[in-house]
Amino acid sequence: MFGLRRLLLLAVGLASFVDAKSWTGNTVLVVVEPRRQDDFSIFFEGLKDQGYQLTFRAPMDEKPAVIEYDEPSFAHVIILASETKNFAKDITPQSLINLANLGTNLLLGLSTKQTPLASLAPDSLVPIKPTKRDATNILSKDLAPVWFSGIPQALGNNPLLVPILHAPAESFASEIDGGSADALLEASQKGGEGLWAGSRMSVVTGFQTTDGSRVTWLGGVDILSDELALKTISKGVKSGNIQFGRDIAAWTFQESNVLRIEKVEHHRVNDTEPLEQYTTNDQLAYNIYISKFNPVKDIWEPYSGLKDLQLEFTMLDPHIRIALPPVSGVPGKYSVSFRAPDRHGVFKFVVDYKRTGWTYLHSSTTVPVVPPRHDGYPRFLSAAWPYYAGAISTSVGFFLFSAIWLAGEVRESSKRPGKAGKSD
Amino acid sequence: MPPKSAPAQRPTAANAVQTLWKAYNDNTSNRLKFIDSFLFFLMLSGIVQFVYCVLVSNFPYNAFLAGFASTVGQFVLTASLRSQVNPDNRDEFKEVSPERAFADFALGSIVLHFFVYNFLG
Repeated sequence: MFGLRRLLLLAVGLASFVDAKSWTGNTVLVVVEPRRQDDFSIFFEGLKDQGYQLTFRAPMDEKPAVIEYDEPSFAHVIILASETKNFAKDITPQSLINLANLGTNLLLGLSTKQTPLASLAPDSLVPIKPTKRDATNILSKDLAPVWFSGIPQALGNNPLLVPILHAPAESFASEIDGGSADALLEASQKGGEGLWAGSRMSVVTGFQTTDGSRVTWLGGVDILSDELALKTISKGVKSGNIQFGRDIAAWTFQESNVLRIEKVEHHRVNDTEPLEQYTTNDQLAYNIYISKFNPVKDIWEPYSGLKDLQLEFTMLDPHIRIALPPVSGVPGKYSVSFRAPDRHGVFKFVVDYKRTGWTYLHSSTTVPVVPPRHDGYPRFLSAAWPYYAGAISTSVGFFLFSAIWLAGEVRESSKRPGKAGKSD
Repeated sequence: MPPKSAPAQRPTAANAVQTLWKAYNDNTSNRLKFIDSFLFFLMLSGIVQFVYCVLVSNFPYNAFLAGFASTVGQFVLTASLRSQVNPDNRDEFKEVSPERAFADFALGSIVLHFFVYNFLG
């Protein structure tokens, strides 16, 4: 039944999204100034080639609306309007948060004019070579240096942030006075208050909501422009901007690094069906099946590549936290067996996998764990045999005693008169 | 009242025990000796179980309680039987005949064993 339904779903999916590369949909709204639209033609053409349907809209246009009747109209929204100060009333920070909560992916180009956080040199052009600290699971391997012009973002402590491309280690920024030399000197003498330096800054930052929708901020929109895409780093060395744009879009639009949990199973070892409730000290087996989205074939494929998956058996606190390794030979299956703790209560099997850049996986299955029933305890333990022998020997002794007593009554009674006479 | 056998040697501890044992042998009827031997067996059985519980394991605690209680209970019942059938106590148990005493003993023991086996696990 389950398999049939999945097959049906798969068939419907194949029929309707033949060209789609993102699993959430292929409609994209691009908010950009009409006169700058052609500046990003390489990026937009790349998206169209991949099968996305792009809808362009000027920043002040009212239509098409991003949300209609509380339903997002587009699967993805790109905002590259860097020179606009006023947007239509449906593009506000709050509406963008709503959009992300509704599952829409956002690619936002920041403008130097709208933010109080000013770079020391907002107009300078620097090539940035992606390093190991950057999101290596998002960006392509061997990516050439990327031309960047714009402002850095100071990274907060939010664990949902995904720093995709860090600022160079030598860079620094101040929020005071637009970063004049005097202000910087003063800030450094105060112990660096209001001053940020390389490692704490990012020029392209991703964010993944707990629901899975993704948001990416570009420090400057020019990173996607044709001009920087065609500009060479040095003679004969092409810049990595084209590939970078592709990688960013692939991650933001949920093409790459997308996982999902297909199925969760739990049962007793040497059993196949789950029980309504388990008993303390039962040997339990837990299986989880995980798939990864394949954007080329547009299907979900079983994925055994997660090496650090963990299972927790939780009642308020994890009583057991154990590695959940992939099963060799069965793609996508992760399995572990363990002994339930000697503790009864309402437990949960929890798999909580949150890794930077990957879809968050969370699965929670509640099972009661009860103490053994009155007749469920082990009986006739070898340790108790002395007690059993004691009780049995007492009974046997009692019967022998009674038998001999009753049999000997006659003989004893014949002696009694003599004895009685003696005691007189 | 044990007969005073005048010992030639000075009374020592070993001597006292010897005297006691001799007096017991001489003055106790076979029936009472038979009861005493059963009591001695029950005492040994109880001691063995208690030592095992202390030294090895009291794990199936109900089993220990049942086994130990069966020896103690049987000991108490048998001791009661002994005092009731002892001719020396005839004045105290005027209305209890030895047959009645044994019937009480048997009934009490059967009830005791019923509880013991229910509790033994």
